[in-house]
Amino acid sequence: MPTPIGIDLGTTHSLVAWVTPTGGAVAIQNCDSEVLVPSVVHYREDGGVVVGTGAMAQALDHPEATIASAKRLMGRGADDPETKRLGSYRYASDEGPVVKFDVGGGKVVTPIEVSAEILRELKNRAIDDLGDVGAAVITVPAYFDDAQRQATKDAAKLAGLDVLRLLNEPTAAALAYGLASKENGVFAVYDLGGGTFDITILVLDDGVFQVKSTGGDSQLGGDDLDRALAGVFLEDLAYADGSEVPSNIARALLSGARRVKHALSDVEVVDAEIELPDGRKVERRITRADFDALVAPIIKRTGVACRRALRDAGLSKDDIDGVILVGGATRTPIVRSYVAEVFGKEALASIDPDQVVALGAAQQADLLGGESRRDDVLLLDVLPLSLGLETMGGVAEKILPRNTAIPVAAAQVFTTYADDQTGFDLHVVQGERELVEDCRSLARFTLKGIPPMAAGLARLEVRFEVNADGMLSVSAQEQRTGIHQEVEVKPSYGLTDDQIEAMLLDAYEHGGDDVAKRMLREQQVDAARVLSSIEGALGADAALLEEGEEARIREAMKRLSDAAAESTDHRVIASRIEELDELSTPFAGRRMDRSILDALRGRAIGAIEDETKDAKGVETHLAEEAEKYAQERQDS
Amino acid sequence: MGLPARYGIDLKELEVRYRELSRVLHPDKHAHKPAGERRISLGKAVEVNEAYRILKDDLARATALLALDGHVVAEGEGAPSDPMFLMEVMELREELSEARSAKDLDRVGALGEKVTAMRRATTAQMATAFDGPEPGGAGREHAELKALVGRLRYYRRFMDEVDVIEEEALG
Repeated sequence: MPTPIGIDLGTTHSLVAWVTPTGGAVAIQNCDSEVLVPSVVHYREDGGVVVGTGAMAQALDHPEATIASAKRLMGRGADDPETKRLGSYRYASDEGPVVKFDVGGGKVVTPIEVSAEILRELKNRAIDDLGDVGAAVITVPAYFDDAQRQATKDAAKLAGLDVLRLLNEPTAAALAYGLASKENGVFAVYDLGGGTFDITILVLDDGVFQVKSTGGDSQLGGDDLDRALAGVFLEDLAYADGSEVPSNIARALLSGARRVKHALSDVEVVDAEIELPDGRKVERRITRADFDALVAPIIKRTGVACRRALRDAGLSKDDIDGVILVGGATRTPIVRSYVAEVFGKEALASIDPDQVVALGAAQQADLLGGESRRDDVLLLDVLPLSLGLETMGGVAEKILPRNTAIPVAAAQVFTTYADDQTGFDLHVVQGERELVEDCRSLARFTLKGIPPMAAGLARLEVRFEVNADGMLSVSAQEQRTGIHQEVEVKPSYGLTDDQIEAMLLDAYEHGGDDVAKRMLREQQVDAARVLSSIEGALGADAALLEEGEEARIREAMKRLSDAAAESTDHRVIASRIEELDELSTPFAGRRMDRSILDALRGRAIGAIEDETKDAKGVETHLAEEAEKYAQERQDS
Repeated sequence: MGLPARYGIDLKELEVRYRELSRVLHPDKHAHKPAGERRISLGKAVEVNEAYRILKDDLARATALLALDGHVVAEGEGAPSDPMFLMEVMELREELSEARSAKDLDRVGALGEKVTAMRRATTAQMATAFDGPEPGGAGREHAELKALVGRLRYYRRFMDEVDVIEEEALG
């Protein structure tokens, strides 16, 4: 069985981890015993691609053909302010809303393709180490919006990776810590990575990791500290305000700044010496106090998000039992002392802050895609940013507020504002601000074909659904006529399916991946999984079977196992899986209902909330039930 | 969620039940199962999360209970007409916008606390009005309850604004 893997796709570096047969998560090293792959991709003149340390070595000589920190541009438009801030790349100025880098030689790439190269490198590393590699859990900053998540999924698709789940980075870190310590309590995860900042407050209760709130800034990270310091070095060079600094100079200053920052974590004073590609040299003494004063305003921005996350969770800093540090930037002393100040206690960093996210991701991959050795662990996550619709006057109406537990759905009814209006424009936005123009635009669509009627008569129900990856789909229905429309929210800044298809085909031509073979193997694995799951259910809950049901299910199971053993056509296996699935679903439904009752009331049988919706008389009964339940809990 | 349909609920109990239900229903618990079973689990998990969201929110819980009694309060409906209340709200808003332009965060925070206290008083009133009359909700004064919902909405909006101001000032 292929091994599921966990990937931390970071701004400055990335890594991949897996869970060993004994249940511990380990990061995969390359032949040089390096775990971290710098998130840098170099496009060679001959068309070759270099990823990681080798690419970094090319950064100074070929700044435009070497892309670093592409994650900061995932899901961003070419007109985004962040795009301009990154500076040192040559952007292709052609059509389309997605940012593109011109990497020379007529080649133009998107941040999604750059990320796909990194993912492919990690996947190959895992294959070298493990042989057969299965699907992946890929981590994203909790504060990533829908467009950024979609871009990450697209990158995985390009890299030929099946995604089990997009997992929020702080949640992954909490999983790694929680599984190690097994201590219940309320934890804050402070994650300052290369380019993003996340804060998450969560409760750990006997294996359930329940995120209460999350917040952050997807444009704030350790890179900003480097940039601030590089700005100081720049003062020594004669560049007029506003004049453009050549990209190779900027690169040299940035990497010099990063070295100085790292050194200042251990010593109080550093005499910086940075040699520039044009032969000049910057020399300057930097003390830790200088550095702290310089970056304090940046670090303070994280405090705002921390306080808001606490408020959203309905908690104060005294309620926090422990603080977990994640991300390389949390090695910086001023960051540590600031975190201690905000939460009133020293933070934990017993697991390597560079690796902890990937280790947690590997654990989640094992839970979702592995042999599932443990059944006692569950992650409950939330929506990081409010989702809403544009209403009159450009105001964003929130349909699902931030920090709502996912997966979730919500509906809102709107009406027409003009007589005989036959279409209704819907503009889906994400963010906390009141005005649509300050929020992120995710999608626009029009519900058409509403029959002419007076204003205010039509009833348009718009339904938002967010899946466990935190990704949205929207449907709209006119309730009088039943006209229905569904959109998968493909963000305005994303790639179209056609573009992905083309890139994929391109990749297959070059990679020689045998698609048919891969699909056959996937279906075989799937068949085995379905068979063993149903076999288990039949054994455990024979009492819930109806007359003749078991015989019918067993017949379909036989047909499937025959196909899985003999057929070379993945479609045959797929259709038999579907057949068995359809036949066994009513049985599965009965089992699920039974487990709901068990969960609510121990082993007794009683009413559940669904039944209270239409039956008023039940309330009295329920009050008694609740009392009984409370009594039972007390007794036990 | 197996809790009685009343306004005053035990939030700790709600948390426990939410986690217990999620333990059996969450799609991740069914990741290995056939597609049909995964669909059922997703549908149920969505219902549980929706119920959890509504129940833990003092305003959403009130409108949901009213809806159960057959009184749907639409957006904008139930706006308070009590002149004393409106006067008070207007004064508070004025104070807030003054504090905002003066960038006086302490005053903004104090106003936030004041409104939070008022909101708490209103939810206490609401609990009495919902749960007081008799079990099963007979004898509820729905007009009064709608007016209370209207007040809660005012407080909610006020607090949202306090939020925005604090963020603007600090961020």
